[in-house]
Amino acid sequence: MVIAAIGVAAAAALWQRDGAPAVGAALLHAWELFLFIAPSLLAGLLLAAALRQLISPGALARWMGAESGWFGLAVATLAGALTPGGPMAAFPLVLVLAGAGADRGALVAYILSWALNGFQKLLVYEMPLLGPDFAIMRTLVTLPMPMVAGWIARRLPIAWDPPK
Amino acid sequence: MTGGQVFLAVVACMALGLCLRRGPGTARRAVIDTGQGLWKILPTFAVALPMAAFLAELMPADAAVTWIGPESGLNGILVASFAGGLMPGGPFVTFPLVLAFAKAGAGVPQMAALITGWSIFALHRIITWEYPVLGWRFVAIRLIAAFPLPILAGLLAEAVVAVVPIGLGRP
Repeated sequence: MVIAAIGVAAAAALWQRDGAPAVGAALLHAWELFLFIAPSLLAGLLLAAALRQLISPGALARWMGAESGWFGLAVATLAGALTPGGPMAAFPLVLVLAGAGADRGALVAYILSWALNGFQKLLVYEMPLLGPDFAIMRTLVTLPMPMVAGWIARRLPIAWDPPK
Repeated sequence: MTGGQVFLAVVACMALGLCLRRGPGTARRAVIDTGQGLWKILPTFAVALPMAAFLAELMPADAAVTWIGPESGLNGILVASFAGGLMPGGPFVTFPLVLAFAKAGAGVPQMAALITGWSIFALHRIITWEYPVLGWRFVAIRLIAAFPLPILAGLLAEAVVAVVPIGLGRP
């Protein structure tokens, strides 16, 4: 709804400034863009759907304890990237992981990895819209970052207990 | 189709093959899931893509070039990281917007920093999900630990782009 409102406002502003042909040209651009991203969109959706059938991130929780070191952070990063869906799916899972013994470093790594490189967002939005080259480059560059942040988080002098 | 698109399609078919090995039921669920996903996403795209196209037309090309163009370097990366954290809304808003920025002349490293900043800081998500579920102490720990990452992502992307030419959107 918000996007629709912004879209209508932008269209009106463009009409005001450049007249109706400019609005038509922009719509044509949008349609061409859609045709261009359609193959990636379809492949991305199929891959995301297949992965959802194949994996369950919660099963990895027992390797994410406070004593798990870099290995635990790596597992958390992997689990985060494999978690499908938006925040309404991911944050409840964070609580499940915390209950299953994951420490705060692992939880920080998990949330960051999900937010940065969650496969669903990557496959359905970033790859089709911005191009696979850019998406793969950005993913590779940010892949190790959740682990670094998790490592830092374990050393921060802020007391935190998982909510019961 | 570009090379990357072919690669994506091949990987998707492999994943479907793995589902088939698990049994026809799993594969059928995956295909149905794909259809439902498409059904949900098409209306979003039908609204988001024209919005991005209108904004791209409206945005003065020079403005984006000065602030977050390919030549803006570290300053542009800082601006983009910060702006990314303030961008509201989900991926269906952000990625079309990034595309509009790119058309208006934004640089690739700057856009990598913007997406990273948006992913990490997303203010709306902290307010609606992270703070209520995990508490402000956890939010503080995570933000302090992740603070420099968008800038780092931008700098790394700049180094990569210097070696491998990578474009945004249409090749």
